[in-house]
Amino acid sequence: MIATTTPPAADPRSTLRPGRYRIALALAALVIVLLVASSILNYLYLDSIPGRASLYGLLAVALIALGTFILVRAFDRDRATRRKHLIRASVLIGLGALLWLLVIDVFLFTQSAGPAVAAICALWCLPTTAFGLFVVRRMDRNHKEPWRLVLVAAAWGAIVATSLVIWGETLWESSAQHALVPGPGLDTSLAFMAGILEELAKGLAVLLLFLVMRNEFDDVVDGIVYGAAVGLGFNFLESISYMTNLYSIFSVEGYGWIAAGIQWYGRQVLGLFFGHATYTAFIGAGVGIARQLKSRRQQALAIVAGFIIAIAGHFSWDAWATIFPIQSTVFGLVEIHLRTLVMTGPFTAAVLALLLFGIRYEGQNLLDQMRKEAATGYGAILPEEVPILASPWQRLRQRMQALSRQGVRGYLRVSRLQTAQLDLAMERWHRERKEIDDPLEAEQQLRNRVMHIRHWVAA
Amino acid sequence: MSAVTYDQLRVLYRTLLVFATVGVVILAIGLVEFAYFEPLGQSSGTRAHIAGVYEYNPSTQQTVGPDRSEFSRTEVFAAVIDWSSLPSNLIVDARWYDSFGSVEGHVGPGRAADLAQQSIVPVEVPEGHRFVLPGRYTFVVERLKDDVPVEVLGRRFVVVDRS
Repeated sequence: MIATTTPPAADPRSTLRPGRYRIALALAALVIVLLVASSILNYLYLDSIPGRASLYGLLAVALIALGTFILVRAFDRDRATRRKHLIRASVLIGLGALLWLLVIDVFLFTQSAGPAVAAICALWCLPTTAFGLFVVRRMDRNHKEPWRLVLVAAAWGAIVATSLVIWGETLWESSAQHALVPGPGLDTSLAFMAGILEELAKGLAVLLLFLVMRNEFDDVVDGIVYGAAVGLGFNFLESISYMTNLYSIFSVEGYGWIAAGIQWYGRQVLGLFFGHATYTAFIGAGVGIARQLKSRRQQALAIVAGFIIAIAGHFSWDAWATIFPIQSTVFGLVEIHLRTLVMTGPFTAAVLALLLFGIRYEGQNLLDQMRKEAATGYGAILPEEVPILASPWQRLRQRMQALSRQGVRGYLRVSRLQTAQLDLAMERWHRERKEIDDPLEAEQQLRNRVMHIRHWVAA
Repeated sequence: MSAVTYDQLRVLYRTLLVFATVGVVILAIGLVEFAYFEPLGQSSGTRAHIAGVYEYNPSTQQTVGPDRSEFSRTEVFAAVIDWSSLPSNLIVDARWYDSFGSVEGHVGPGRAADLAQQSIVPVEVPEGHRFVLPGRYTFVVERLKDDVPVEVLGRRFVVVDRS
């Protein structure tokens, strides 16, 4: 009999109130202080549209940040209080998004192209970004991330990261334009600016997600998924911004929509995965690998390494893409595609290599844990279920069989059972590696949950 | 945990470090490029006097009206430089850059004394366009060394409205 009143944690050194929340709060506070300082400076010294946007946008950022925090923490609460927190989070995020759209439309786009053009551009970008998020989430073949967190990551990329960037880049660009010789030197400085500031802003979202929701941030695969989702969110808003801007510039010449369409193709089709998604996926990979490393030094090095690759990839595109010759002939269309392939392709290939290796690593360990769980005889995972659970295709087949027998409800029930079983295997894996805060009772709760769903499925 | 899976995590970690090393090399090349085009110690202390930026009449090739920093996109404008404010043997040029960083009108390069007759530097409407593109324009007077601009001797910013 266990005589202690405190449930034992898997990692004896960890406490049940992890210090990483304090780090997350400190980081968030730092971001807010930086935003306040830079926006006030912008407003005082630049007296421009971005200056005003920065000041009014502050409240939107604060609302989104607070709403996100409440949202992700809501799922750790019991059912009775969860609903209250979800409503609170939804209201805050809704207000923040509304305010931000207002800022963007009224102060940035309305003066140039008008809110109708901005809305049309957003509608163009929505399906492609949604497709990107769908693909990115599907990449995690063994243990898919919850949609709510993937969407939170994308929202952070779209709203908070872009806000951070507007202010940082306005200051950097303005200083550089006042101090440097126009030409390659200035271009290089601006490429450093985009690489450093944009990747730091996006990476911060990945880092905060990891600190606050470590239970849903299992390994390198999850890191790549969240990182790419943040990148896609950022790319979404950046695309709207560029499309609207170019429309307003070229509409007088009669080809505003053509200019916007070219931007859309470049950013939402050609650059959907070859761009922000790739760069930020590296940051996620670094955080994901650090998640499973033991030594503090190695953890720090992995995170820094992720940031360095992301910044370098982004920098190389911004600084050297123009070196690649693009002729103003039909062959130029081929060259545009080749340029993306040559400049960003190696980075995308590298992140895919990490992803595939991570999926294999994760899959082997989940299989190992499923076998061990089946051997315990608790009945949460049966020996004959192991090969099905280990294969995404066999899992799909099992769900489709349930669909044909019992319809959509049957499909969803089997899907929940499979998810719960994979959650259990993942929990066991983290516990075996002593990289989890949850007490041992949490594992038994997962087991009970599987048993409960199994009875439900059988019924 | 088996030794095999530990090695797999190590492989991931080391692969990431190898990629990061490549990243460091890329960033280092970027710094070298920046240092080449923005060499240290190039400040000569010389300042070019830009008399102003004015509306420009292409038919008379003369400026009209007062010094301004904001124009509508249907207006053509030009900067006026006092080349005599620079040492006569200094190799210089003057350029207009649009918000995309493209050169939209220039004078030089040449010795400051030789450019005395070209004190008006108009901005050019891009080929195939009816008007200048809106956005922020930068006018610079640059000192050149080995055909590479190394120092800005004078600078003006002008905004062209979208409407």
